Amino acid sequence: MARVKFLCDADRCIECNACVTACKNENDVPWGINRRRVVTINDGLPGERSVSMACMHCTDAPCAAVCPVNCFYTTVDAVVLHSKDLCIGCGYCFYACPFGAPQYPRVGNFGSRGKMDKCTYCAGGPEADLTQAEYVKYGANRLAEGKLPICAEMCSTKALLAGDGAIIAEIYKERVTRRGYGSGAWGWKTAYKDGVAL
Amino acid sequence: MLIKRKDSSARASRSDSRLQAMSSGLSSGTLDRRSFLRRSGLAAGGVATLGVGTLGSVKKAEAIAAIDHTKKVELKKNMCTHCSVGCSIIGEMQNGVWVGQEPAWDSPINRGTHCAKGSASRELVFGDRRLKYPLKLVNGQWTRVSWDLAINEIGDKMTAIREKSGADSVYMLGSAKFTNEGAYLFRKFSAFWGTNSVDHQARICHSTTVAGVANTWGYGAQTNSYNDIRNAKTIIFMGSNAAEAHPVSMQHILTGKETNRANVIVFDPRFTRTAAHATEYVRFRSGTDIAVIWGMMHHIFANGWEDKEFIRQRVDGMDAIRAEVAKWTPAEVERVSGIPGEQLKKIAETFAKQRPSTFIWCMGGTQHTVGTANVRAYCNLLLATGNVGSNGTGANIFRGHTNVQGATDLGLDIGTLPLYYGLVEGAWRHWARVWEVPYDYFESRFDEVPAKGGRPARTKKQNMETPGIPSTRWFDAVSHKADDVDQKDNVKAMVVFGHGGNTIPRMPDSVKALEDLDLLVVADPHPTTFAALSGRKNGTYLLPICTSFEVDGSRTASNRSIQWGEKFVEPIFESKDDYEAIYLLSKKLGFADAMFKNIKVVNNKPIAEDLLREINKGGFSTGYSGQSPERIKAHMANQGKFDIVTLRAPANEAGVGGDYYGLPWPCWGKPEIKHPGTHILYNTNLHVKDGGGTFRARFGVVREEKAADGTSKQISMLADGSFSKGSELTDGYPEFTLGVLKKLGWDKDLTEAEANQINAQGGANADGVGWAVDLSGGIIRVCLEHGVLPYGNAKARAVAYNLPDPVPVHREPIYTPRTDLVAQYPTRPDGRQFRMANIGATVQKAAVDKGVAKQFPIILTSGRLVEYEGGGEETRSNKWLAELQQDMFVEINPADAAARGVRDGGWVWVSGPEANSKARVKALVTERVGKGVAFMPFHFAGWFQGVDQRGNYPKGTDPIVLGESVNTVTTYGYDPVTGMHEGKVTLCQISAA
Amino acid sequence: MNTAIQFIRAGAFALLLIFVAAAQPAVAQQAPNPTAQSVKEEQLLKALQPGSVISGRITIPDGSAATLIQPEGQDWRQFHQGTLPIIGAISIIGIITLLALFYATRGRIKIDAGFSGRTITRFGGFDRFVHWLTAGTFIVLALSGLNLSFGKFLILPIFGDAAFATLTGYGKVVHNYLSFPFMVGIALMFVIWVKDNIPNKLDLDWIKAGGGLFVKGVHPPAKRFNAGQKGVFWIVAFGGVVISVSGWFLLFPFTGGQIVGDQQFWVNVHAVLAMIFISAMLAHAYIGSVGMEGAFDAMGSGEVDENWAKEHHSLWVEEQKKLAGASPKGAVPAE
Repeated sequence: MARVKFLCDADRCIECNACVTACKNENDVPWGINRRRVVTINDGLPGERSVSMACMHCTDAPCAAVCPVNCFYTTVDAVVLHSKDLCIGCGYCFYACPFGAPQYPRVGNFGSRGKMDKCTYCAGGPEADLTQAEYVKYGANRLAEGKLPICAEMCSTKALLAGDGAIIAEIYKERVTRRGYGSGAWGWKTAYKDGVAL
Repeated sequence: MLIKRKDSSARASRSDSRLQAMSSGLSSGTLDRRSFLRRSGLAAGGVATLGVGTLGSVKKAEAIAAIDHTKKVELKKNMCTHCSVGCSIIGEMQNGVWVGQEPAWDSPINRGTHCAKGSASRELVFGDRRLKYPLKLVNGQWTRVSWDLAINEIGDKMTAIREKSGADSVYMLGSAKFTNEGAYLFRKFSAFWGTNSVDHQARICHSTTVAGVANTWGYGAQTNSYNDIRNAKTIIFMGSNAAEAHPVSMQHILTGKETNRANVIVFDPRFTRTAAHATEYVRFRSGTDIAVIWGMMHHIFANGWEDKEFIRQRVDGMDAIRAEVAKWTPAEVERVSGIPGEQLKKIAETFAKQRPSTFIWCMGGTQHTVGTANVRAYCNLLLATGNVGSNGTGANIFRGHTNVQGATDLGLDIGTLPLYYGLVEGAWRHWARVWEVPYDYFESRFDEVPAKGGRPARTKKQNMETPGIPSTRWFDAVSHKADDVDQKDNVKAMVVFGHGGNTIPRMPDSVKALEDLDLLVVADPHPTTFAALSGRKNGTYLLPICTSFEVDGSRTASNRSIQWGEKFVEPIFESKDDYEAIYLLSKKLGFADAMFKNIKVVNNKPIAEDLLREINKGGFSTGYSGQSPERIKAHMANQGKFDIVTLRAPANEAGVGGDYYGLPWPCWGKPEIKHPGTHILYNTNLHVKDGGGTFRARFGVVREEKAADGTSKQISMLADGSFSKGSELTDGYPEFTLGVLKKLGWDKDLTEAEANQINAQGGANADGVGWAVDLSGGIIRVCLEHGVLPYGNAKARAVAYNLPDPVPVHREPIYTPRTDLVAQYPTRPDGRQFRMANIGATVQKAAVDKGVAKQFPIILTSGRLVEYEGGGEETRSNKWLAELQQDMFVEINPADAAARGVRDGGWVWVSGPEANSKARVKALVTERVGKGVAFMPFHFAGWFQGVDQRGNYPKGTDPIVLGESVNTVTTYGYDPVTGMHEGKVTLCQISAA
Repeated sequence: MNTAIQFIRAGAFALLLIFVAAAQPAVAQQAPNPTAQSVKEEQLLKALQPGSVISGRITIPDGSAATLIQPEGQDWRQFHQGTLPIIGAISIIGIITLLALFYATRGRIKIDAGFSGRTITRFGGFDRFVHWLTAGTFIVLALSGLNLSFGKFLILPIFGDAAFATLTGYGKVVHNYLSFPFMVGIALMFVIWVKDNIPNKLDLDWIKAGGGLFVKGVHPPAKRFNAGQKGVFWIVAFGGVVISVSGWFLLFPFTGGQIVGDQQFWVNVHAVLAMIFISAMLAHAYIGSVGMEGAFDAMGSGEVDENWAKEHHSLWVEEQKKLAGASPKGAVPAE
């Protein structure tokens, strides 16, 4: 059974933000909501590296653990999804998430949060696959079409990998061996309690 | 934790192919949500009491164009419009609406990937900030008008200006966003109108490259390709930040770097995102490229690392370079550029020894008063180390727009006709022949220029053969005294098709000029800075033009591959495509019938395929003759067949077998002879029929060299013992004419039809008919049969005898912080080029005398951000992109910031040394720039010297993000060869606002 | 075991790196070599101080987006799912147990002298309004708050996800809105009662006597508020301020700090304090109702039995009598 993951090869990432706009375009994500973002460490200094980050779809996801209404569920592919019908916008998942993935539209008064929105691994939500209802709430369901998340598919330098964790780890290992350096599979330790064994 | 159960693996095979495409990962098929729904009580009837809450809407306010998965989706392929890499975009269409985008896995150029701009392309067509209908400025108010009225009034005003001031008073500013067909049409339109003042963005990006490279070895273009860089062992970037400006190219570069353990060396005043992925970063002072290159070559020659055999066979004049280079000792290089001698020696050794080596440059090299000289210095480094004309080598010039290469090729240039046919009579006659319009007609359209300012008068014919005014100086041509402008009258009207108003330095001067214009026409998807910048009240017309996703046509990527883009959707709102707009204008001006004689026009829309066929018909000089619409379309349909490294399709592939992807020019002869195109220029390892080549014999056969004792000798400029594979001539040879064919006895190989055509064309002087003007294509065909290049086989020129500074010499920028070096390395003396005075030396001297460098101690340079492109109107109006860069900023070193009390994120004033210019921007305090250096991106506009001009845009068309333009504070300085501005180095002062 | 594996893996990784570095051509060893100096996640995570994050630069204005990895999210989860419920359970179940024990041993505290039949005005209308404004909102806030922590274990299994989410969603809205009247109530309470709640020497005696709660017939003297009530006042005052401030930062995210860590801090403060607050108020409510005969009237009708008043607020009754003497009507305003 596939256990899907994301892996950002920071030695390939050039902070082109293709993943960000591809996600916005594919899922029609509104201004101010960033399901994916690129952070640059050591900006402007030797050793500068950029990392594209979104929901890592953790094993034993902290968001799901702290959710007061149990709106999260994990699919058979290990994609962590949530129901916007159940979500109350409390913000706990944002506090618990090690990756800053949950996003909240501002609705109504005094900055109160709307339903949480986050990366769905382009796997839609609880609604029927590939329906308008699903799209409006969660965006595209590429997995149901047999496709992978658009951010990884469109990554300019193929830095962002998506797919079966074992396979992408293998790809990353091959790269590191071939080129002789690698700054690590960012977020894996935190999300999966596991690095890429090299 | 609840687990969705998989209930089907029906789609597994589809996802497998996806995996292969990505060469990574996998997904399973559909997911079962039933258990989740049941458990959560969300399934129908599952909620007993309270029901599902409706708190907080999850619906988005705006309408969403979601794909209806129950209906068919039509896939169409076009090109990303934002740089020259040439990424294919696959659009998903439903009911005539562009509803989604899919990775174009098959494209050998981008293999499905994009940068931020490519991924956000759909918004260009979907966005609501476009011009929706024609507008006219009436007493300062934007007023909606019809296309008919706009075209009528524009035509009448142009005619009135023509009658009063002459044809040259209407300035034609075209665009690199044109398709090839659009660019060609605009150039043709200008010829019919009667002016050579027709230009586009190449002037301000790679005009110096084209001039420098063409003057070295024949053609002004990237010699290799993005893909071929995968073969390189050493890669130098100089003044190129590919990670931001050409992100998808980095896919090939980083793969090559990893696979070959290649050396990636970045020379830049700024530690760029590209430098972050280099194996070596070299910081140097802006504007000292020649010193650096000569410094490297000093080590190369001193240690005998040069490729002696390559130089002997294929390079002319290297000894003169050797003599100049000897002066550039490590100490002097360090004094001028700041690079330590040892570091440079190591790099020189790497570049010379760890071959193949390639050299990549962009605007950091070109936008200088010594831009052309810089480029020739780069070429010399490549020539000295034998790094031209084979895999993994070459001058990899990364260009900036989708079709800036094509627009340059097709003559949106003040000095050429389409495809680099010069402004000489023979060239004019060639195109007159292709267009089937009498040569005399064109002569009649040009102005007669009276004698003024002590200069002689020009006849119509002379004026027709005189280069126009470069886009960098259009405002001077408006504002300068009439006597100073060497044409009938000043520029009175600007017709701008798709060019930004903020990409050229000295904006305070262009504001004044804008206000003085009688007529301003902006034909663009967006109003552009031209519309909003000045205080004009009348005489401005905005014509809504569609984006290139709404038009059919071909585009030439930086690597010379030509790709066909399909129209995704009909032009939205009332916008029209460029072809129709130009057609309507020519109809109004009365020459449409002649201009479109051989082009089918349906409902005022000229057919793109016919335009390309006409280009093919006359495009022999540059090998634009073999890329028929049918062939290019076959390539687009078979993208997956081409190899990712060699760009070649296997010989047995139907339709595209043996071709290089996109038939990169030169694709010799007529389409029927099926030349595969030329992946790597000047590659002697291949037969010419396989894309092989030699250096072009463009500059004569011999040159005269004077020795010190006063005697002179003739030196052959033809190649010495070097020839392309399978050539029947095993030494250098000149370019071909019918006469040359006859001498070799090859004229017998011409078919009767070919011979007839040549004789008909040449008349009494048929022997003089050259390969480039032979409309039969026969001379070229026969050359290919004999394995020779129609353009000859010469040496590359290390020394360009026809240019200022034949041997490139270092010259300090006009505004240099190193005033101590100006006496030794002054800029070139004042002169006149392109109908205008170039008083660079006077400006430089005044700056030194007035102590400008003390008052403005920080070097200001500029460049791209990955999210935006060019003037940025299009990308700043794109909400996906605008969100990522919301403020104009200046990068400043922490030391400089601390000295000025500037904090990160705070507002500052950046002031320039001319016209009391200043710009209010945010400070980004970073080590990325060295001490004494500041960097500003150049995509912003809409604020001018602290004033927000949002109100100047027609309602609803203002870009989402506005900001100060860097060119508000940039300054004087022009390359004498092309009129390129000095955009990459000037001085400024920064203070907290 | 797991960490041992991780350690071995890390070691293997390091070995591989050394091997690979040695295999590189000499020319790639140049410095400055941005590739060689590449920042490694492993190092950053190791160097991370507790409570700090791995962050960089991002162009979007959302400051918190510049945080790349905040491992403390896991700590917060640990606290929120582990420590907090324990604190809550201990304090709430603890206080209920104590009260039950107290009731079992002491029973309802009766008025020793029995009802006199005469009443004395203890709290006027405004006092009672302020009290019940605060108390009423507090009850709803407490219940909706507790629901966030315990609801999914206690209520969700009964209601099902959808109904529970709806309930909790309304609970969140109510919690957000009622926080404002609650804060007003806290402020008013402080203003109107602070002068009678300044601790003094009398309170020490009262405490020494255990407030007379544990021994029948002992009634240490007290003014308007005895030490126990003063304690409640100051718990409410301080607790109210802290819970209001922390709540404010949750209502308006990132006004109390730029990063997620700040939000985590405020939500923890809010939650822990709420648990203690709720426990204290349970005790307060007990003694003010079932725990003591005649006590509820103070906030009920506002009129308390004179004997009750004499037993628990002897000095205050004397004061009131003096005032009543001066004012024949006997209608004594509370203030």
